Amino acid sequence: MKLHAGGYLAFFLPDRTSPVEFPLDHPVLLKDILEQLRVPISEIQMVSLNGSQVDWNALLVSDSDVVHIISAVDGG
Amino acid sequence: MIGQSEKILRINLTTGTISTEILPDDFYRLYPGGKALAGYILLNELPANTPAFSPDNVLVFANGLLTGAPVSTATRYVVSAKSPLTDGYGESEAAGFWGPELKMAGYEAIIVKGKAEKPVTIWVDEEQVEIRSAEHLWGKPTEEVQTIIRQEMNDDKIRVLQIGPAGENLVRFAGITNDLRHFNGRNGMGAVMGSKNLRAIAVRGNQRYQGKAVAPDRLMGLGRKLAKAVRENPLSWDLQNRGTPGIVEPLNQGGILPTRNFQQGVFENVDAIIWEAYEKELLTARKSCYACAVRCKREVSLDGEVSPYGGPEYETIGAFGPNCGVGDLQAIARANELCNAYMLDSISTGATIAFAMECFEHGLITMEDTGGIDLRFGNADAMLAMIEQIALRQGLGDLLAEGSRRAAEKIGGDAPFFAMHVKGQELAMHEARGKYNVGMGYAISEIGADHLVVAHDPALANPDSITFKSALPLGIENAAPVRSLNAEKMKHFYILEKWGSFEKVVGLCFFGPAPRSFIHPDEVLEAVNSATGWQLEIPDLLKIGERATNMARLFNLREGFMRKDDTLPERIFQPLENGPLKGESYPRAEFQQALTTLYTLKGWNPESGVPTRSLLEDLSLEWAIPLIAEIES
Repeated sequence: MKLHAGGYLAFFLPDRTSPVEFPLDHPVLLKDILEQLRVPISEIQMVSLNGSQVDWNALLVSDSDVVHIISAVDGG
Repeated sequence: MIGQSEKILRINLTTGTISTEILPDDFYRLYPGGKALAGYILLNELPANTPAFSPDNVLVFANGLLTGAPVSTATRYVVSAKSPLTDGYGESEAAGFWGPELKMAGYEAIIVKGKAEKPVTIWVDEEQVEIRSAEHLWGKPTEEVQTIIRQEMNDDKIRVLQIGPAGENLVRFAGITNDLRHFNGRNGMGAVMGSKNLRAIAVRGNQRYQGKAVAPDRLMGLGRKLAKAVRENPLSWDLQNRGTPGIVEPLNQGGILPTRNFQQGVFENVDAIIWEAYEKELLTARKSCYACAVRCKREVSLDGEVSPYGGPEYETIGAFGPNCGVGDLQAIARANELCNAYMLDSISTGATIAFAMECFEHGLITMEDTGGIDLRFGNADAMLAMIEQIALRQGLGDLLAEGSRRAAEKIGGDAPFFAMHVKGQELAMHEARGKYNVGMGYAISEIGADHLVVAHDPALANPDSITFKSALPLGIENAAPVRSLNAEKMKHFYILEKWGSFEKVVGLCFFGPAPRSFIHPDEVLEAVNSATGWQLEIPDLLKIGERATNMARLFNLREGFMRKDDTLPERIFQPLENGPLKGESYPRAEFQQALTTLYTLKGWNPESGVPTRSLLEDLSLEWAIPLIAEIES
């Protein structure tokens, strides 16, 4: 699974680097992966799975999935 | 001492007179620089209904109380005048080095009146102030002019603020640059400068800010603490790491990346312009403004050479990329260079070209009008050609140089529907249909569509988030959904607008204070009190911002603006065409209700939007009370 962190969420990923490759041999709850990575749930504003926004509360992700987690994004 | 005996410089270009003035201490407490000082001067010294290009227009360059302080992000100054784009209160802020240098030269502000007979520059070296001929500089690109001025003065540390050929040609959205990489882009302040035949103001100074602070050790200690905090806070870390170009992809994922003149919210070629592509194709270094540890500025290379103008920010990428349908990072970077060489506001330029592209695709502008240019969305070469035509007022560019509102009125037909502006100023690259308070900011801002009125909605959507918690000291109590205009959202707006305005008064960058970034409100307060010894509290800071906003509001009302002008382009009330928010529109009826709620919260007449007498008394603006009767008559 490929995890992209948008906004300031890359700050919380290992080496503060996005994207992160996360090999999965079976579907796993995204929430569990984020907890393992210590990404604070409170900072996630939106999740998209393979290009579509999803309700990620009970989202299962698989090895071939591309997931974007996005924080609050402000002006530039 | 900071806040005491602050000095301003007055220059009349018609008569050539130069004078200085000391601001009374009690006056400065009410109007401590920036937006507040500029607003006061415009309301009191610029007669109502003066044309923007009249020699009588008053052009104010005003530092903030904290500009030049040894604290990250305290770098900004305001340029203000009646705007030729909106015919209302004009204002634009920039960071960089010029403001701090002006402070080091001993001046809080420069007020320019009149019009020089021939092109001139102003040279400020502390007590030595001169008006010099600029006839040999007129018509030249900005990089060349900066080089010549520095060579003539034999000093490469001189800070040069200047317009470019676009300002000389009175393009209504011409901007001002300092050090070639920092821009007072919005509202056409460069055109006002050009109308006065003023090409540049070069400054040199040696008086360090901390030498004038009441508690310099405390201020320096705060500066060191904040410099460390930049990399410990995720928001400022991200600004340093990726800068504003980093937001392209998340906005696209959210379906709120303005695409093809705000018709869509998702751009199919986004991968070519996201941060990873920028880093690979363009980036050479990360740069900073004066004494700022955030280092959010990008330096880029084009055709193997480092650009003197810095790299495109998000707004520029958005305006020339998705909004013109262009998925070509090299072309966007070239557009950025052209805008900065001619000194055009990249937001209004890109937005006006996108408007023209839509007119072209609907047959309202023809190949005959464009001189054979195929001005369709996605044609990068056509886009670059139009930038030059606008700057030089050639061909169709002469019409587009008037801005999208005026151009649409002349083109007729459906063109006004395609002109994405508020009060004549083009929207920045943020989609109001996905961030409702950004839309409210576009609608109500005194300068026309401005994306920096309040922190954007997502910051206060989750009560457990870093951004929400950091806003609690400002009086924010409850979280509220991003796509809502409920009473709680209007409270957010009411508070955050005052905070944002305060930042523009004291010279803090939007990328400094919470909730947008890393400086806690208590630390902002500490900076102000360490500099001045005033012992203010946070509500006092908010009142400073509120006072400035209300003066700008009064200016516009005096010019004839009304509640009906606080609105959004019709397209925003129509559904988005694609992406996650496909079919979603900005709610028209709720917007009107929210506007009434907000006016009431702000102490304005809920029907007319005119500040009430009691509000002006509360803000110590009693001198402005007679304006209420003048406006209402």
